[in-house]
Amino acid sequence: MPARWSAGRLILLMESLVAKDLKVRYKRSILGFAWFLLKPLFSMVVYYFVFTRILRFGGAIPHFSLFLLTGLLPWNFFSSSLSATTSSLLDNHRLIRSIYFPRMALPAAEVAANLVHLLLALLVLEVLLIAFGHYPGLSIILILPALILLTMMTVGIGMILSIGNVFYRDVRQFIEILLLAWFYASPIIYPLDSIGVDIIQSQRLLHILKFNPISGFMEIMHSIFYLGTWPPLWCWISLGSWSILFLLAGMAIFRKAEPVVVKEL
Amino acid sequence: MKPGGIRMKNVTLYYRLYHDRAVTLRETMLNLFNRKTRIENFKALDDMSIDIEAGESVAVIGSNGAGKSTTLKILAGIYRPTSGIANSAGRIASLLDLGVGFHPDLTGEENLMLNGALLGLNRNEMKKLVPEIADFAQLERFMDTPVKYYSNGMFMRLGFSLATAVDPDILLIDEVLAVGDAGFQNRCYERIWDFREKGRTIIFVSHDLEAVSKLSRRVIWLHEGRVKMDGDVEDVLSGYLQNVQKKHISTTATPKEWGTREIWFDSVILRNADGAPASAFRRGERIVVDTVIKSRLSSVVGNVVFGFSIHRTDGETIIGSNNLEMNQPLLSFRGSVNSRIEIDLSIAEPGTYLLGLALTDPAANMNYHWQEFFYPISLIEERKDPPLKLSEAVWIQE
Repeated sequence: MPARWSAGRLILLMESLVAKDLKVRYKRSILGFAWFLLKPLFSMVVYYFVFTRILRFGGAIPHFSLFLLTGLLPWNFFSSSLSATTSSLLDNHRLIRSIYFPRMALPAAEVAANLVHLLLALLVLEVLLIAFGHYPGLSIILILPALILLTMMTVGIGMILSIGNVFYRDVRQFIEILLLAWFYASPIIYPLDSIGVDIIQSQRLLHILKFNPISGFMEIMHSIFYLGTWPPLWCWISLGSWSILFLLAGMAIFRKAEPVVVKEL
Repeated sequence: MKPGGIRMKNVTLYYRLYHDRAVTLRETMLNLFNRKTRIENFKALDDMSIDIEAGESVAVIGSNGAGKSTTLKILAGIYRPTSGIANSAGRIASLLDLGVGFHPDLTGEENLMLNGALLGLNRNEMKKLVPEIADFAQLERFMDTPVKYYSNGMFMRLGFSLATAVDPDILLIDEVLAVGDAGFQNRCYERIWDFREKGRTIIFVSHDLEAVSKLSRRVIWLHEGRVKMDGDVEDVLSGYLQNVQKKHISTTATPKEWGTREIWFDSVILRNADGAPASAFRRGERIVVDTVIKSRLSSVVGNVVFGFSIHRTDGETIIGSNNLEMNQPLLSFRGSVNSRIEIDLSIAEPGTYLLGLALTDPAANMNYHWQEFFYPISLIEERKDPPLKLSEAVWIQE
């Protein structure tokens, strides 16, 4: 029915939505973009004290604060994106009901806006790491394919959540709880290597944790940034297959549900 | 299909209606885990087929819930038909809800650029349009102000200017012409009129029958998701008005009939100046009330006063007169007589009115037959004639 949306128009639409998101977020805000860094930094400080002073396993990992930050930055991207995409359709219901445009752009733009933040945050992280003597290896180039796969996965999950939240507002509440559990089930405050075995004290549980969709990416982050080594193969297999699975499932569900969702909004 | 053409074939669309039955707190608590929400599939459009040629201006009318807005949303590509096919050719601009894409924290210009992208325009196209949009909305001075500081009227003006700036092949309008002050409304109408003159397709939903008769030549009357009537403005409007009055009058001005009926209206037909039966009249057109009056009395009755009155639908009398008051011959007959009143209304607000008739003899204090609020008539806006008129043409051979 509506005129075809070419790739060029679609890219422009995404650009405009992302630009809007960034502009709106930092109007009337003194610290502005810094908040995207400050949030993980504050969490880092909290976790650092908890795990070195109270639970005392962080001591096993050198420069534990930098290790934490390496995982916390992409986690912050992942969790903020999912929270934002969940309400992306509901928040724009009037717009959706009054003009036609490819609605997939709404959750996708939320993820893209967060990705812009993540890229900037990773630059800062790299500077910090170098300052503390963690020099990057050649493997740093792998950050690009890793980020692409992570984005694919986040967009896929986000699409499913945005659709689900239209039918059941419970999704919004549920995702908060899920993210809390997901955080501790992911190798962010602990690694999935030999040190991780000492902390978790169960080889089996450690293997199970590798099936966590975000584990592959987190371990890639640790390898590339923190250790400066090449990430193990299992990370790529896990991240790659979860990403493709979630993106395809997300797009299929979104396409199928879109005509119904528009009427439910 | 030519750009501007529209085709809907056997389009059916279902909505899901939710019926939440919980009323009390106790019911709500009980329903919390075992939710008794009944879901009903509601047929908003029922096997609807409409063909619209490029360049037509079509009004869609009908009572609330008839499927007017749903039809527009299908044409705009917002809803997908549950079954059936909807096609159109060319660029569509939809004025369904003005200014929805505006973010309060962004300035007028930022919002225009963002909405341009939503409409599928590229940045250069949009940059060129911005001054024009600002000018039409009379908001040049406010383009760098966040729109949350705009008044409601300014906001709507910007929305209207944006939506109509893109020179679409098809313009969809849903009751949004009540924009800004009277001056701006006129300019809105002018702009829409321009689109019409340029041969663009216009489809608009309205309850304002005056606007309908002004802007469109064809009217589609929807009822419960079906096309009830589709045709010329006058035919459809008069059919619609009669139907509305049947339901409407009962609550306001109910048709009333009383009198001794020694003399009575045996038949009453409203005709236009050409003698054809009609119930819709253009401004300035003559209304002919053609009656057959019969008498049961054996002798000749004289001094019969034949009066008429015109009321608004809420019952308020607008005008009324009779042959006595107008110094015209009173009726005098035996058995049966044909009598007609020719009414010329010089100034009338377009709209729906009710005509009443009466046969009386005030001198004898007799009320023979009254028919009050009885005949619905609609006065519609005169169609604009072509701007050119031939004043003279001369053929010369030398």
